[in-house]
Amino acid sequence: MTTRNAREDAMDCTHIMIAVDGSENSMRAVDYTAAIIGCRGGFTVQVVHIERLPDRDLFPDEAAWKKNCNAYAADMRRFLADSRQKLLDAGMGSDDVTELYVPSCQRPSPDQEALRCSHGATISQEILRCMEEGGYGTIVVGRRGLSKAEEFIFGSVSSKIVHHAKGCTIWVVS
Amino acid sequence: MALDVRELVRERMPDFPMARCGRLVTDTSEFMRIDYGDVIELGGMHYLVFKDESERRFGLEDPKYWVKRCRCLESGESKILKLVFYESFTLHLGAIAVQCYRSPQKEARILMEVRGDIRFMQGVPINDTRGNVVRVLDIIRGKPIDVVADAIEADHETYFYEHFPDLLARFITACEAIASLHDRFEKHGDVRRDHLLMEHGTRQCRWIDFDYAFQSHENPFGLDLFGLGNILLFLVGKRIYTAQELARFPAPVIQSINEDDLSLMFPHRIMNIGKLFPYIPKELNYILQHFSSGAPLFYESTAELLDDLRPVLKTMQPAP
Repeated sequence: MTTRNAREDAMDCTHIMIAVDGSENSMRAVDYTAAIIGCRGGFTVQVVHIERLPDRDLFPDEAAWKKNCNAYAADMRRFLADSRQKLLDAGMGSDDVTELYVPSCQRPSPDQEALRCSHGATISQEILRCMEEGGYGTIVVGRRGLSKAEEFIFGSVSSKIVHHAKGCTIWVVS
Repeated sequence: MALDVRELVRERMPDFPMARCGRLVTDTSEFMRIDYGDVIELGGMHYLVFKDESERRFGLEDPKYWVKRCRCLESGESKILKLVFYESFTLHLGAIAVQCYRSPQKEARILMEVRGDIRFMQGVPINDTRGNVVRVLDIIRGKPIDVVADAIEADHETYFYEHFPDLLARFITACEAIASLHDRFEKHGDVRRDHLLMEHGTRQCRWIDFDYAFQSHENPFGLDLFGLGNILLFLVGKRIYTAQELARFPAPVIQSINEDDLSLMFPHRIMNIGKLFPYIPKELNYILQHFSSGAPLFYESTAELLDDLRPVLKTMQPAP
C-alpha cells in the first residue's frame, strides 16, 4: 500500500473541517453544516481560518499596517468563536467543535501559542495541508460565485480545493 | 538656496539661468511645491529639477507631479526622481474592479532586488531628511514595445513573418523577467504595454514602474499574467482588433467570430485572432485563447505561459 493510500484510509468523513474567511459565504457554510449534522451524534468539526494579513505594501507605515493586522486578527477570532457557537446551538457537543486559527508567518507580532504558521502559499494549498495533517474526511467551504474573469484575476479557493483535493469529500456551499 | 549649492549649479550647469535657481529641498513631502530650478539634496548629491514627468494615456498628457526629471549636479547624469506619493484607486478591467495602491516601499524593495538586471529599470532608493523613500532612477532611452511594433511599416503577414519573431524573442525575455519577480513572491503590479520599453540601440526590453500594489491571496500573479496576455495579443496582431473593426475582413471570417473568441476582460477585443490571420500558428493562437471568454482553463503561472511560448518561438525562427 502506498503512503497516500494509507493517508486516505485514515481520513474519516465524520471528521469535518470548515474553512472560513470571515465572509457571509463562509458563514453560510457554517450554517449549512450546523443544519446537516447539528443534532446527530458522531461528528467532530473544526472551524479553521488561514490568516491572510493585508500586504505591508498597502500601508504607508509600520504602525498603520500593525493596527490593521490586529483588527483583522480580532475580527477573525470573533468569527471563529461565532461559528463555533452556531454549531453548539445546533446541538453539537462542546468537545466535538474546535477552532483553529493558523497565523501567517509574516505577521508583525508572532503568535507564540500557534503550533505552526502559514508560509504564504495560496489559501487553498494551506487548507489542503490542514486537511492532510488533521486527517479530515470532509472539507466544507463557502462559494463566492465569482465570474470567470474574476476567477482569472483573483483565483477561487473553492475551485482549487475541488480540483486538487484527494481522498476526501468537499462540500461547496453556495 | 545656500550659496555653495548655487555655486555648484553655476559651476556644473553654466548655461542654466541663475535667476531661476529656486530652493534647496531636503524634505520632499510637499512634492507639488518642488518646481523647475529647485535642487533636491539626497544622500549627499544634488539634483537640479527641470520638470514634472507626464504620461500620455488615451491621447491626453497626464502630469505626474511626484515624478521629477532632474540632473545630478555632481555626476552630470540625467535622472528621474520618484517622490513619495500614496494613493489608492480602483483599477477597472472591463467589469472587474481591483483596488490598487501606490507603494513607494514596494518599488524601492524591487529596485534593490533587480539591481544589475537590465530587464528592469535601474535605480536606487534614498531616504530624504524626513524619511521619504525617493527612488533615483536611471533614464531609459527607448519606446514602449507596442509603439515599436506599430511603427513597423509592413502589412500584417510581412510583419508577422519578418518582424514578429524578433519581438516575440524579446517578449519572452520580458516574461522571464516577470517570472523572476514571481519566484521572489513579488508582483510587477502594472504590466501593460507602455511599461515595457525597448531601449534604443540595444533593443533590450525593460520593465518600468513597479510601484502598484494590490491584494490577491489566491492568485497573486493573476493581474500580471493578464497584462502579459494583453501585450502578447498586441504583438501578434501588430495592434488590437476590436469587434467594431471587423468590417474589412471577409464575411465568412466575421461570421466565424463568436463570444468565446473575445477577451475575458474586454468583450470587444478579439483574442482568437487566428481566425483573422489563418497563418498564425495554432500553438500561438492557443496561448492567446487562454485569455479569452471561451478558455476552458487559465494559466496559473508565468512559467506555464513561458512553457508554451518558447516552442512557438523555435518554430518561427529561421534555422541557424
